[in-house]
Amino acid sequence: MSTVHVYDPALCCPTGVCGPSVDPALTQFSADVEWLGQTGVEVARFGLATEPGEFAKHSEITTLMQEKGDDALPAVVVDGTLRCSGRYPTRLELADWTGAQTERPSLPLAAEPEDNDDCGCGPEGC
Amino acid sequence: MLVTETGQALGGLLAAATRYLFFTGKGGVGKTTTASATAVALADERRSVLLVSTDPASNLDEVLGVEAGRIPVNVPGVAGLQVMNIDPADAAVQYREKVVGPYRDTLPASAISQIEEQLSSACTVEIAAFNEFVALLTDEELADHYEHIVFDTAPTGHTLRLLSLPSAWSDYLVINPGGASCLGPLSEMGAQQERYAQAMDVLADGERTTVALVTRPDAGPVEEAERAAAELHELGIAHQRLIVNGVFRATRDDDPLAVAWQRRAEAVLESLPSGLSSLADPDLVPLLPTLPVGVPGLRAMLAPQPPAIAQAVVPHPSTQGEGAGLSALADEVEESGQGLVMTMGKGGVGKTTVAAALAVELARRGRPVTLTTTDPAAHVNTVVGTGVENLEVTRIDPTAETAAYTASVLAEAGSQLDEDGRRLLAEDLRSPCTEEIAVFHAFARTVAAATDRIVVLDTAPTGHTLLLLDASRSFQRQIDQQRSGQASSPETLELLDRLTDPGYTRVLLVTLPEATPVHEAAALQEDLLRAGIKPYGWVVNQSLDAAAPLDPLLAAKAATEHRFLTEVVEEHATHVAVLPWAAEPPVGSEQLATLATGSRR
Repeated sequence: MSTVHVYDPALCCPTGVCGPSVDPALTQFSADVEWLGQTGVEVARFGLATEPGEFAKHSEITTLMQEKGDDALPAVVVDGTLRCSGRYPTRLELADWTGAQTERPSLPLAAEPEDNDDCGCGPEGC
Repeated sequence: MLVTETGQALGGLLAAATRYLFFTGKGGVGKTTTASATAVALADERRSVLLVSTDPASNLDEVLGVEAGRIPVNVPGVAGLQVMNIDPADAAVQYREKVVGPYRDTLPASAISQIEEQLSSACTVEIAAFNEFVALLTDEELADHYEHIVFDTAPTGHTLRLLSLPSAWSDYLVINPGGASCLGPLSEMGAQQERYAQAMDVLADGERTTVALVTRPDAGPVEEAERAAAELHELGIAHQRLIVNGVFRATRDDDPLAVAWQRRAEAVLESLPSGLSSLADPDLVPLLPTLPVGVPGLRAMLAPQPPAIAQAVVPHPSTQGEGAGLSALADEVEESGQGLVMTMGKGGVGKTTVAAALAVELARRGRPVTLTTTDPAAHVNTVVGTGVENLEVTRIDPTAETAAYTASVLAEAGSQLDEDGRRLLAEDLRSPCTEEIAVFHAFARTVAAATDRIVVLDTAPTGHTLLLLDASRSFQRQIDQQRSGQASSPETLELLDRLTDPGYTRVLLVTLPEATPVHEAAALQEDLLRAGIKPYGWVVNQSLDAAAPLDPLLAAKAATEHRFLTEVVEEHATHVAVLPWAAEPPVGSEQLATLATGSRR
């Protein structure tokens, strides 16, 4: 089974309800992460403000943050390969990267990539 | 010996002192002085005592004459007494440094500032102070070191929230182990949860914990003490004592003011509300002509001296003449016909009365006025009465606001989510942080309502208000940084501009003609100036000097007001109104209007 590490920017809480306004994309991603965990994939989520140590000890992540600044996060690493940076992936993408089966993709809102459809990385990862 | 029979003030409390003693009550009732006097008296009995202030607007420094900080310091002249202050802002700074300090060299600067930003929210500030408070309750080393830990707490509403947080957070963490980052690094969460549960055990144990409900013999503070008693009972904190501070006996029956003063107190004490009458033998602390300051003053407070000899008192110029009332202030606000007036100051100084008097006066002049309070323990409706034309009275109720905010978030953001997403969102909205945010949104809406009418806002006590204003600044930054999510409401976007526009927002600093309230109002003015808000004027409320008493003790008390009245006029304020002490707090539109126009008794 795959292992997925999610590096969140500094959030007040995983769904963002504590901030000035709620971001549905964030909440949907939380639901997707929960689903992924239930399929048997090992998922760990790290917040910049809650676990800065997890960021600091992975040079790949610190390098990414040095290069892309505030746009680096969120970042998703699947089995040691950086798959996604600067936005949250969709449930379909998560399924694709981990081999998990999904009958239901996440809602279109979370599935809309910003500018490109490759999650900021090439098809083979970064 | 500490016995009640000798008539020593606070004797009952001292005789049965538990390890943890909390002093709570409406602002201005004398929590700090009674807490300090208790701590001094216990230390004088050769006990080792730690006195802790958890009030963001603490005046412990002033009362004890030492600078209290995070580390306990000795109080000169009292062997065995140490004092410390939990300042929420300071606690938050320490807490932030603890989180980010180790990563300054490894993470990029932008990431460090992101973390710091996140850990600057009002919620984090509250949690940081709360964690220090919990540490004091659960630290075994401290318990070994001190026989008594005396807490001079923040005003009632805030204190109750603080005391209820252990159970609130424990429940929340059970259903949501991911938790909210306001609580700090996840690695510490488990240990922290255990400490919260321990703190709750300590608070509920009557052998270890006493809550002293401090009040004055006035209806408002007594009602608030009753509310506090009931809410503490609900939290399982049942071991309580009642302390009535400032009990006065008239020495001349030809002074109607003195007679009225004594009668009012007697009436209040005779008919204590049911929630308080079960608290046997309240400790009565006599009224003193001057506020006890310094250790000798605190000792004298417990063994009162006869009142000062009568002396001829010449009234202070600021309390005389037509300009002394609120009418000059009302004139200017009336002219613009719109905008926001906020009354600010320490709890108990009469913000609600001043706000209500001004609102009623403006409404009588034919202006549409909304009177609103953000104080969780406010009594605006009781003060105003009913049936004032042009006047609308509203209240920002934290519980209702939280429910409404939760519903609106679930409806708006929830509509774009699937079932699992909605469930997660609903779970997260149960976080105690949601209340902060909900109240903040309501505050912004209230401020925005003043574009086409006059809004008079009776704000919560100083510390809480400052956190609210500070939240508006950090909010602005968060909004600026936010790249996705719901659009922020126009009210929150324009909040800061409105608050800093002197043509839109007029802040009235309400104070009493006493040392601590004046100095706190001056400090608040400094804080506001730093935030870009210049207070419009000062209102000195409940001036005995303006009421011209004959009773020697009251006349001596009136004379002590002069230096503070002079200080306000000469050093702090551009516009000053001085309102006379009244036997009955003004209630209803007629009395409020009389107060506003400055008519004399």
